[in-house]
Amino acid sequence: MMHDRRSVIRAGIAGGLTWPWLRTLAETADAGITDTEVILGMSAAFSGPSRGLGIELYRGASAYFDDVNYNGGISGRRVSLKIYDDGYQPDASVNNTMQLMLEDRVFLLFGYVGTPTVTRVLPLLKKFQDQSVFLFFPFTGAQPQREPPYGDFAFNLRASYMQETAGLVDNLVRIGRRRIAVLYQADAYGRSGWVGVRAALARHGERIAAEATYTRGTQFTATLRPQVEILQAAEPDAVICVGAYAACAAFARDAVDLGLEVPIANVSFVGSENLLALLTEGRERADSERYTRLLVNSQVVPSYEDTSIPAVREYRELMQRYNPAVPAELVTESYTPFDHSFVSLEGFLDAKLMVEILRRLGDEPARADLERAVFSLEDFDLGLSERVSFGEGRRQGLQQVFYTVVDGDRFVTLNDWDERFS
Amino acid sequence: MRVVKVQKLFQRTLFGVFALFGFIGVSTSILLIYTVDSYLTEEYETNSAGIAQSIADASVDILLNRDLSALQSLIDQFVEIQGISYVYITDETGEFLAHTFVPGVPDQIRNSEPATNTTVQRQLPGMGDFVEVSRPILAGVAGAVHVGMDTGIIALQVQRAIGRQVYLISIVFVVGVLAAVWLVNLAARPIGEALTYAVALARGEENEAEPVEGILARNDEAGQLARLFLHFYRHRAPSTPSTDGSA
Repeated sequence: MMHDRRSVIRAGIAGGLTWPWLRTLAETADAGITDTEVILGMSAAFSGPSRGLGIELYRGASAYFDDVNYNGGISGRRVSLKIYDDGYQPDASVNNTMQLMLEDRVFLLFGYVGTPTVTRVLPLLKKFQDQSVFLFFPFTGAQPQREPPYGDFAFNLRASYMQETAGLVDNLVRIGRRRIAVLYQADAYGRSGWVGVRAALARHGERIAAEATYTRGTQFTATLRPQVEILQAAEPDAVICVGAYAACAAFARDAVDLGLEVPIANVSFVGSENLLALLTEGRERADSERYTRLLVNSQVVPSYEDTSIPAVREYRELMQRYNPAVPAELVTESYTPFDHSFVSLEGFLDAKLMVEILRRLGDEPARADLERAVFSLEDFDLGLSERVSFGEGRRQGLQQVFYTVVDGDRFVTLNDWDERFS
Repeated sequence: MRVVKVQKLFQRTLFGVFALFGFIGVSTSILLIYTVDSYLTEEYETNSAGIAQSIADASVDILLNRDLSALQSLIDQFVEIQGISYVYITDETGEFLAHTFVPGVPDQIRNSEPATNTTVQRQLPGMGDFVEVSRPILAGVAGAVHVGMDTGIIALQVQRAIGRQVYLISIVFVVGVLAAVWLVNLAARPIGEALTYAVALARGEENEAEPVEGILARNDEAGQLARLFLHFYRHRAPSTPSTDGSA
């Protein structure tokens, strides 16, 4: 009898000790998944001078998710995006991620915007690696989420800044513009682009001709004349900007005003349509052309004007059909969305691939199976000219970089560098 | 009869109070400036050295294994600490690998000799005065970390400390002056009454001196002085008649 009582007490203590652990495991397995919903978490800039990036990325993704939900969802589950505004600030991004992971208990993280934000979030993913929380398709081409020690916690769709800057440098050098200066944002994003330009120039036996920086969050109304003067003193043949649209537009404006009339290149993160809007809205056509004729922007998705591409046709159709709204609960400043943009096209492609991965998880999706589902993508047709493949050591889906210039009121594909800039 | 005021004694006392407080204020301020400045400078240099060493230690792995954007992200976090104005990292050749300057690295720093283990004072045009501490990465073969602390903050702290002290001394000074006025009045009033009484007696106006005769009843030195004057007055030698017969 005494023996039985002791056994009961032991079992009770053991049960009491293990119950919270078992409960945590059970909750983890079900996090972000209900019978009717799969919840994805997104932290991005919906306020501040870079809000256009978060808004357009969200709108593009929403167009595809809306269509999936309209057609019954994934195994009967709707795809929901839980979104937070980080204003493109690292601390806010970290707080939002904690909220998404620990309070909202989302299934995965999706569509984060920016290098300084993502760079600070990555250690969190490593900290909670036992819960298999992955970051999918961040809107940044930086290296930290592509290489150890954090590369295993993220999956990228877009080409990297190393690839974008290498392409820009190679083309500029090819047309004889070897003295290349750099304007970059004074943070991890800017440094990432700076590293790319430096490495690409080194392959051509060149060094960065001059460099200048600006503070993250700089508005279009600010002056970037000091930066222009620093670069102008080195008499560069071209300038590569690694920044956000407000500051890069201010730089392009001040450069032209101060007579620095050389090609000014921007990487995809800049947000081409937002940049163009700042340089052209409210100006005479001649003025607009003066400020934009020397711009050349690299893109990681094809032109949304190229309707020969199936994914572009689908994107245009769904953007028109669902016309995703600006998230009013987060966007308090005025913002006029674009019908089409490179950023929303990227968000659309991100969402399309995300849905395919979720489908491959089957009827009982679990975080632990996410990596297997991603690695099963081999030569997957996303509707682009390039097929998508993932695998061990290959955590970036697309490699292609496109180049665009301003023609009238839009960016179009650049076909001939010599003709445009010689 | 109007009582005579003892103004000279009063003025000298007030002057003494002013001089004393002036001396106390100036001497303690000098001591305070020296103490706060030395203490803060030493603390800032120690903190800078500690931060530079921390970044140097953390940078080894990043420099050898990772992208420089991770290094930039690391130093960006340190610039958020109050007092740290800039951080930059150079490689072994002196090339700038990461920095926090906007709109660019100042010429004075760009053109200076690369240092790995020094503390220097820098005056950067348009930026201010700084203490810059450098620490080597991997014994200097991988470069160095440089941390600049704004000495303007030290001056600001000194100004704040001096301001608080001046505030305190001003209050003590006002209280001291009021107390001095009260005390001088307390001491000077009976002396003034004794003086008035003496003047009246000297004029032969003993009756006129009545309004201040209360002075005779005092037990202090002023009362004794008044009684002495009265004694002299009553026992004075008879006045010599003038030759022209007038009194």
